[in-house]
Order: sequence, then C-alpha cells, then structure tokens
Amino acid sequence: MTVLVGYVPSPLGEAALRAAIEQARFRDEPVLVVNTSRGDAYVDPRFAQEPDLDRVVRELVAAGVPHNVRQLMRGRDVAEEIVEIVEAEDVSLVVIGIRHRTPVGKLIMGSNAQEILLRVPCPVLAVKAD
Amino acid sequence: MDNLANLLDGFAHVLTPMNLLFALLGVTIGTAVGVLPGIGPAMTVALLLPVTYGMEPAQAFIMFAGIFYGGMYGGSTTSILLNTPGESSSVVTAIEGNKMAKAGRAAQALATAAIGSFVAGTIATVLLVVVTPPVVRFAISLGAPDYFALMLLAFVSVTAVLGASRVRGFAALLLGLVIGVIGIDQSGQQRLTFGLPQLADGIDVVVVAVGIFAVGEALWIAAHLRRKAGEVIPVGRPWMGKQDWKRSWKPWLRGTAFGFPFGAVPAGGAEIPTFLSYVTEKKLSKHPEEFGRGAIEGVAGPEAANNASAAGTLVPMLAIGLPTNATAAVMLAAFEGYGIQPGPLLFTRESSLVWTLIASLFIGNLLLLVLNLPLAPAWARLLRIPRPYLYAGILFFASMGAYAVNAQPFDLFLLLALGLLGFGMRRFGLPILPLIVGIILGPRAELQGRRALQLSGGELHGLIGGWMSWLIYATIAVVLLWPLIGRYVVRPLRGRLVTA
Amino acid sequence: MSGRTTRPDRGGDQPSRPPAVPEIPAQPAPAAAPAATAGAERAEPGTPDGPAAAPDETDAADAGAEPAPKPDRAQYGVCAFLALVGGLVIFDATTRIGSAINTADPIGPKPVPILLGVLLLVIAAIYAVDVARGGAGEPEAGEDVDLTLPIDWRTVLLLIGAFLVNAVLIDRLGWVISGTILFWGSAYALGNRHYVRNLLIAVALSLITFYTFAIGLGVDLPAGVLQGIL
Repeated sequence: MTVLVGYVPSPLGEAALRAAIEQARFRDEPVLVVNTSRGDAYVDPRFAQEPDLDRVVRELVAAGVPHNVRQLMRGRDVAEEIVEIVEAEDVSLVVIGIRHRTPVGKLIMGSNAQEILLRVPCPVLAVKAD
Repeated sequence: MDNLANLLDGFAHVLTPMNLLFALLGVTIGTAVGVLPGIGPAMTVALLLPVTYGMEPAQAFIMFAGIFYGGMYGGSTTSILLNTPGESSSVVTAIEGNKMAKAGRAAQALATAAIGSFVAGTIATVLLVVVTPPVVRFAISLGAPDYFALMLLAFVSVTAVLGASRVRGFAALLLGLVIGVIGIDQSGQQRLTFGLPQLADGIDVVVVAVGIFAVGEALWIAAHLRRKAGEVIPVGRPWMGKQDWKRSWKPWLRGTAFGFPFGAVPAGGAEIPTFLSYVTEKKLSKHPEEFGRGAIEGVAGPEAANNASAAGTLVPMLAIGLPTNATAAVMLAAFEGYGIQPGPLLFTRESSLVWTLIASLFIGNLLLLVLNLPLAPAWARLLRIPRPYLYAGILFFASMGAYAVNAQPFDLFLLLALGLLGFGMRRFGLPILPLIVGIILGPRAELQGRRALQLSGGELHGLIGGWMSWLIYATIAVVLLWPLIGRYVVRPLRGRLVTA
Repeated sequence: MSGRTTRPDRGGDQPSRPPAVPEIPAQPAPAAAPAATAGAERAEPGTPDGPAAAPDETDAADAGAEPAPKPDRAQYGVCAFLALVGGLVIFDATTRIGSAINTADPIGPKPVPILLGVLLLVIAAIYAVDVARGGAGEPEAGEDVDLTLPIDWRTVLLLIGAFLVNAVLIDRLGWVISGTILFWGSAYALGNRHYVRNLLIAVALSLITFYTFAIGLGVDLPAGVLQGIL
C-alpha cells in the first residue's frame, strides 16, 4: 500500500507533502509523489522544476520515508492521471491540497480537487495551506 | 536638407493622439507576438491585414511598423527567460541570455537586449533615412529591363541562397508564380480562372498570406503539437550596472553594423548577422571565458544585430519594392491592398505616407523601450496561455479576416486550400519565402518584362537594358552556378593556397 | 522502492533551431534525465515500453537532420502535383486564353503561363531524380513542432472539419455562431477538454470581433439568424 500525494510547487503543495509524510509514517507505508502538467502551455507554474523536486526528495529523505517521485506530461488533467494511478496501483490514501474557489471560477476553470474527491475510489485527505 | 524637413513633417503626422494610439497598439501586439514562440511577425501582419482595411493607410503602416519592431523585441524576452527563442533571429540571444538569467542576471540580460535593440533600431532607422533617398534616385534611373532583371535576382536569391535544397526552392517559387498568374491579365484575358467569377480578380493577397502563413502554420503545428512546460525565471525590473553599460555599448554598435546591411540585401535575413555578431563578440571580448556561461556581450551584440536588420529590410522594400524577408513581403502586399505601388515613385507620390512611416519607426522604438523595460515580467505571463487556445485563435482570426475581405464564403474554401498547400510545403521541406515572393513579385515582374519587350517589339534583346541589367544578370549567373564555381574554382584555389 | 524519481524526458528543453541558422558552438547539453528512468513513465498506454522512448533521448533539433531510415516515397506525390499543375497551366494557356495580339503588347497573355508550365514540368522531373537519389526535404522545424512525433491526422482532420463547418455556416447562421463553433471545435481538436470554459471564450471572442468589426472598422460580418438580436 502507498500514500499518494498530488504535489505542486507552492505552499499548498508543500502542506500536502508534509501531511502525506505524516500519514506515511503513521501507516508505515511509502509515499508516491505525483506532479503533472498537461504540457500545453509554454509555461506551467504547477509543473515542478529540478530545484523543487530536489527539495521534495530532501524532505522525504530527511523524514526517512521510502518514496517514489513521478512526473507526468501526457496532455491530461491531473485528476485523470491520479484516478488512473489509484485504479492501477495499490494506493491506500490520496493527499491533495485544496483552496477556496468561487462558483463562477469553478464553472469556468473546473475543479481538479472536486474531480479527485469524487472519482478516486480510496479515501482522500484534503489539506489547506497554512 | 529636404529629407530632414520631410522627416519632421512625418513626426508631426505621427504625433497625433490617434496615430500614437495605433503605434502603441502595434508595438503591443508585436511584442506579444514576439514573446509567443508559435507566432511570427509575418503571420501577425497577415492576420491583421483585413483589420486595417477600415483604416487610413498611414495608420495601418504605423501599426505594421510597430509589429515588425515589436516582434524583434519580444523574441529576446522569451529567449532569455525561457531559453525558447520566440523568433529564429533570437536563437543566438538564447545562448548567453538564458545562461545569464540562470545565473541570476536576468534583469541585466533583458536590459541590455532592450536598450541595445533601441540603440540599434534608432541608428539603423537613421541609416534608413540616409541611405534610402540615394537608392531611390538610383532606382528612378532604372528602366523596365533593369527592373525585370532585379526581380529575377530577387527570385533567384531567395530561392537559391536560402534553404537546403534548390530544387525545392524553385518548386515553391514556381507554385507562387503560378498563383500570381491567376486572374485577368493586363490584356483583359482570364488566366487560370476556370470560369470561376470569384477568381477573375486574382486571389486576394490577404487570403494568400493568411492561408500560407496562418492556416498552413497552424495545421502543421497541430500535426506535431509539442507537449512541454518550462519555467520562467523570475525577474524584477530590468536594469544595468555601470560595468554592464561599459561592456554593452560596443557590441550594440558592432551588432548594428552587422545587422543593417544584411537586412538590406535580398536573402540576407537576421539569422546570419546575429550569428556573426556573436562570434565577433566572443573573439573581441576581454572575458572570453564567460562565453557559454552568460556573457553580456553575447546578448547585446546579437540583439542589436537583429533589430538593425529589421530596419535594413525596409530599404529595398520602400526604395525598390523588393521584399527581402517574409514580413516585408506581407507588408508589400499590404501596400498593394491600398493601391499603393512601392518602389522609387513611392517617395514622390506618397511622400507624406513614407515619411510618416519612417517617423513612426523612431516613435515605435521609443515606445518599445518604455513598454519593455518595466513590463518584461508581465509579458512572460503570456506564456501561460495553453497552446490549443493559441492555435484555435489563429484559425479563428484567419477565417474572420479572409471572409471580411470580400464577404464571400468562397474565400474560406480558398483559404483552406492555401492552408493545405502551406501544410504540404512544410511537410516536404519546400521553403515558404520563395512562394510568397513569387506570388507578390510575379505579376510585377511580368508587367516589367512585357513592358521591356514592348519597346523592342517582342525581340528578346529588349530584356537587356543598361549596364545595370548586365551586372544583375551576371550576379544571377554567379548565384545559380555557385555550386559549380565552388567545386571547380574556389576549392582548387583554396587547395593551392594551402599547399603554397 | 526508495528514492526513485522519474521525470518526462527533458531533451526538448533546448531550443530547436530552424535549419537556416548556422551551427552554434557551446550549446549546453540537454539536461536529460538518466536514460533508464526517462523512458519508463513517458511511454503512453498502448505503445511499447522502452524502445518507443529511444528517439526521445536525441536532441529534438537534430531529428529532422538525421538520415531517414527509409526513403520518403510520398515525395513522388509532390513531383506528381508539380507536374499536374504544370500541365494544367499549359492546358489553360493553350486552350482557354484567347489570343489578343496587338502591336502595343507583342507578348500577350500566353507566353508567361506556358513558360511557367514548362518550368514546372522540368522541376518536377529534376525533383523526381533528386528523390530517386535519396534526396529528402527537411520538414519545417519550429518551437511548437515536435518532429519526433508522427503526423497526428486525427487533429488535422478535426481542425479542417471545424474550418469547413464555419465556411458552410457563416452565411446561414452568421459569424457569431459559426465563429463560436470554429473556436470551440479547434480547441477541442487540439486537445483542450474544458468544454464550458472554451464555450464561454468562443462566444466572447465571436461577439467582440463581430462588434469591433461592425462598429470600429465598418466591415460587416454576417449576423445570420441572429439578425435583429445583435
């Protein structure tokens, strides 16, 4: 069993990562860090770059948790990617960060968090940025 | 000092609120386009052609000049912050510029690029003012045979000098010439219209330009859409220290010296001078060890060179009516859309328009500096637009513009056919520039050729005029035979020199 | 399972240079992830793992320059097309164009098309010889063009479809509706799946362009069925 965390290089993502590490220790399971981008814009601030990933790995190593970091760029939304991984692999818990969204914003932009909450077949831990 | 008075007149025309607004609009659009790697200035001017039909010619050209210069500026921002050259002329800038940015000197790299572009653009525009009138005086002395020869030279040089394969270049040129033939010719006969009344006036240049550049390019990119997301290096307000100024000003001037003449020569372009400037700066630098790790000279020189070449391009376009790159070709098409014939007579017939255009180049350059120095981080945000919107938008505006020209759906089908032609040419490596030059210059070359033969009563010697046409034909022969000359003359000579 | 990082291939980070640009020294090596891990996650479902990712390791800019593994026979189609155009131009010039010879214009409208037609036939022949000898045109590179991918015909055909729908409907339904379909359809074809957002953008763009053209520039786009409402 694995704890999956949807990571983005932002305070929200860092909060999710910390929560995932905590859960992994508690459950004595490894952490799977997932970071994705649709890759359709020249720049995607949610796609982690080398320094971000180095920091993530350092944090995981410092915590002594077995881990696996996976980056995907296949033109799909993060919700689709996470649902697929959860369905294919042995995931016990999904950790994601959530933030406030206005109804109009949700209508226009869609909500990845909502997609994941509703579609993932395992428990989801939703974390807010501190 | 007639020209100075004319130029001052031109400034007076540009400095009206409405015209300044169009200049601002032009540089804004141009910079945005330059920043976005997928869209080039030629495509933008093509897309905006129909929009300008409701404007005064002067306003349209003020805007085009802004787009042209703005595109050159914008390319550097992406090169430096993203290591993604927005235009092929900023490829060299990316080498040192991105290294500087990664080393935390993004602000200085952007500043030297922007100020260097301003310096080079201004000097090159001054050169344009100085050089163009003599060229015009010379061009007026040319007769129809000389013009015919000159256009043949333009065909041959864009076809044989650029690009890897001459066969493919000539194939593209011939296709362009054939498209140019479509319509009613000067003697009133319908050619290649196949009885379609919509083709009687020929294919509108707007539809051709939009079809080949916008639709063709969008389809080609859609076929191989890249998935990639980078990271913009965060940057504050661009600035330079004293040391940076000291190291930048000479490369700016040298870059200008490289860029201007190359822009003015057919097939010179902006790529070669930027490269030459880079190599020169590397050789002359007091800090050669910094090259490859973020040397400011390697940004300053090439950026100056590419802006100077943009100004240089305008010399043959305005003075003789010869486009030397794709953007100039489309601007030439725009002139024709207004019924204005570029060439030596332009300066006498449309004197006020030309000098307004030239004055607007100075103003546009200044606006660009003001716009780019503080706003570089804002421009970088444009890169977050997903590619699907970008290319869907191009198709959207292309359709709208092509329809608006004649308000007939027929043009949309024509647009698609031309887009598919552009797609096929990109797939098989047929260069685009000869095609577009062929379409635009073809009918004029035929006109001059027929005029020349009229004078001689149909005898072929009518195509040979004064010494100028001999010189041009000789140049054409050298360009055409260059592979043979290279093999049998240059290489043995070089060999002898080495052994001696 | 400890400390493993997989990332998509980073080879694309280098600017892909257009062919006209001379070779430039001192380019950085692409910051490629280790080959062993780069391929693993990259492969899409349905494509074989491992070998499929191999071409991704090479610099994308060089992909076009590498010798093609097999001759590009589709190029003969280009030769045929050129010859066809050449024949058509000659046919048109010799049969359809009337001869309007007068003293003021001794050349007339015919010779130029005939000359072009003949040159096209000649070029088609030379082209064919070049292809037979193994010549190949380099597909145009570009920042958004990933030449390591095969041509995505589905996307291209969908785009052409959206384009044709617009061309057919523009006079009947009007620009606001047909333009909306064009933008929305193109965004869909290009792989964007935010249907609601795309629809809002498409409608906004169509309305803005409609009014800008009609009021600001005096060029009328057709209102179609929305005549009177807009």
